[in-house]
Amino acid sequence: MGSQPGSQPYLLSARSVVKHFGPTSVLKGFDLSIARGEVHAFLGGNGAGKSTLIKIISGQHERDGGTLEFDGEALGASVGAHRDAGAIAVVNQELALLPHLSVAENIAMPRLRRAARPYRERVAETIAMEALSLIDPRFARESVRRRVGDLTLHERQLVEIARSLGSGAKLLLLDEPTANLTAAETGRLFAVIRRLVADTELAVLFVSHRMREIRQIADVCTVIRDGKTAIDRVRLDCITDSEIIECMGQSIVPDDSAAKPGSPTPRAAARSDVSAAQHGAIVVKHAHISLTVAPGTIVGLAGAPTGPIALIETLTGTAAAHVWDVTCNGVPMIYANCAAAARAGVGFVSGDRANKGMLGTLPIIDNLMAARRIVERRYFARNEELMEGMGLIEALNMRVRSLWDLPSTLSGGTQQKLLVARWLALKPKLLVLEEPTRGVDIRTKREIYALIRKMAAQGTAVIWWSTEYIELAELCDRVLAFDLDGRPASVLHGEEVNEAQLANATGMAA
Amino acid sequence: MKSITPALASERYRPGGGLRRLLSTYRTEMAIAIAMVIVELAVGMAVPAALSGGNLTNVMQAAAPLVIMSFGVLLVIITGGIDLSVGSVFSLTGMITGLAMAHGFGAIASSVAGLSVGIVIGLANGALVTFVGLAPFVVTLSTYAIAGSLSFIVTNGNSLPISDPNYWLLDSGTLIPGMPNYLLWCLLLLVGIEFSLRKVVAGRWLYAVGSSSSSARVIGIPVNRVRLTAYLLSGLLASFAGIVSVSYVSNAEATAGASLMLQSIAAVVIGGASLFGGTGSAIGALLGALMITIIQNGANLIGVNSFWQGTVTGIVILIAVLLDRITKARR
Repeated sequence: MGSQPGSQPYLLSARSVVKHFGPTSVLKGFDLSIARGEVHAFLGGNGAGKSTLIKIISGQHERDGGTLEFDGEALGASVGAHRDAGAIAVVNQELALLPHLSVAENIAMPRLRRAARPYRERVAETIAMEALSLIDPRFARESVRRRVGDLTLHERQLVEIARSLGSGAKLLLLDEPTANLTAAETGRLFAVIRRLVADTELAVLFVSHRMREIRQIADVCTVIRDGKTAIDRVRLDCITDSEIIECMGQSIVPDDSAAKPGSPTPRAAARSDVSAAQHGAIVVKHAHISLTVAPGTIVGLAGAPTGPIALIETLTGTAAAHVWDVTCNGVPMIYANCAAAARAGVGFVSGDRANKGMLGTLPIIDNLMAARRIVERRYFARNEELMEGMGLIEALNMRVRSLWDLPSTLSGGTQQKLLVARWLALKPKLLVLEEPTRGVDIRTKREIYALIRKMAAQGTAVIWWSTEYIELAELCDRVLAFDLDGRPASVLHGEEVNEAQLANATGMAA
Repeated sequence: MKSITPALASERYRPGGGLRRLLSTYRTEMAIAIAMVIVELAVGMAVPAALSGGNLTNVMQAAAPLVIMSFGVLLVIITGGIDLSVGSVFSLTGMITGLAMAHGFGAIASSVAGLSVGIVIGLANGALVTFVGLAPFVVTLSTYAIAGSLSFIVTNGNSLPISDPNYWLLDSGTLIPGMPNYLLWCLLLLVGIEFSLRKVVAGRWLYAVGSSSSSARVIGIPVNRVRLTAYLLSGLLASFAGIVSVSYVSNAEATAGASLMLQSIAAVVIGGASLFGGTGSAIGALLGALMITIIQNGANLIGVNSFWQGTVTGIVILIAVLLDRITKARR
């Protein structure tokens, strides 16, 4: 199977690549072939080994076995052995940016390869302008001189992508580049990729969990499952979504597994409270918009990131200024910090998993108990925490070997479940979620949906910010839509919560 | 990237703004310079002799070794590391130079012997930090202790007079007429390092490594080489400061550098560098070192008990760091 690019050899071929991390083997003899001038979708569940393979190709990890051939030459196994050529550019999930340096310098840096050469700020700025303008000309003009450390996560993603596009590489490895982009930016990114692929025979390896994006941009796909090749180079027009998902090993959990188990959650209950401040309901107000978040309902936030961020910061006690007026039973809910918010019953799962979620140097058990220890002012670890931890792990079907392992031993999806699970037993009044399913495979997504529905059924009000309209439509009783400038635009109820209406209300295509 | 033709690039964007950009780049440094002048004027009000040309020359000459050493420490701190060994390297360099002269070697050979101390210890620090992956604090704490004790061992704790009668020329001679050499060394290093940091790729790599070493690695910057070079230069400059100082006082003493390690780190921090890496400038380090020396000189002239000098220096460091924090938060 697969499409051979005539007599031309592949730009990159990986054969029987093997990689272990300690006793765990992540890649067990993986094959991948990428031809010049193609966009190659690379799919697989969480922990299947996608990011590891990308890091091996780009020389960030050593491989333990197998061969890599790039542009007709064998690549060495050691770290950094083949980076000098600059022919392979990578956008990792963890952005590789230099926060103290300017946007211009960050983008120009990969081209500065000789230590003794002069560095000219203006040249760097021109390079950065060219690369950034491909995706967002306005952002380019406003930001080339700003420090990357002062940018938002979303702006940083733009910088990172611009750097890879402007690097002149022959192969571009994009590991979920669209995770933090708006639909418009994704559209422009795709247009640039198409043009580069057509004009320069650039090859792109593209990782995404969004099937629709993959259909839009990719020609060929390879699927990895459990460290091995499940599908090797199949044209996307010859395969259906469900066939791909089946090969990823994701179809074990049926779509409706998370269905509401006779809970009082669903939309009927939600609609009855539209009128008034129901007991325990939280009311958020800003200008002419007012929204009631009743216990047990799931309210979505959609639209340009600045809007949801301002509201979430107010709710969780991290805001510098309060543009939102938040009350519960008429009592203002304004907190000095996250700990005060948590003690008052506001749970928060940040979208910045690495920096504002996980305590990376502490074992899993401490991560699981982090919120409880704050809320109950526990200053010493307790024995019963081990039981609580085991209970949570079993209840949530998390693949964890030992409670004493570090969270870095878990896959991204499992880490995300852990962060939500922190709040499960605490039954908070309000749970605020920032894109809890970003970069998570379909199966884990369903598990996280189930977890959130379960918490809603316990009487928790949920506020959920997501950039994926499909999941908002599936989960939310109501959605607060923000316009392109981040101002609250409208509230969608019940049946109005669908992709078309969401796209209309936020001004962003799905 | 020739194939990418930006349609909208540089339409409203104009490069340039030379002076304004220069002013904004050196904000912190200007603030320190102003603070320094204020401190010196305050001392001058109490003791008018402080502002005499003779005293200002004294201050500069006394500051020179600290200035030179601070430049080296700055390079390491920009990469996010720390070098605690510089004070001991300074002392050991003086002892080795003096010892070589006592054994009949010429001034140049003795100086080279002294500088080799910095090269060896700098390379050892760099290799242990980069290739073995040990924490800079621990590595340089060890070499600080080792070099410090060696400087006592080599002469059994005795101080050594410098035997070459012309060795003072290194510090106070005038290669350029009218400009004493200590000033020349400081200026050459200032210009050379500041230029390299701003306008040469290698200098930008130092900041990149300090900003995020993992990102720098992904981008393709030779992180190990950059780190190794920073520690090597730090050792070498500490040694150079050592021979300049020995030339100045004509005497090698095992305790000569004891207080300089903290002072050089303080100078770099007062000069606006962050101990987390990624920031700092040579001009700032120079001003920081001058500031510390001016405070000591002023305290001496006013007659403050020397036991209080550490307290004053400590408070100045805190004020400098707090002001920096406040102005950054405002922006």
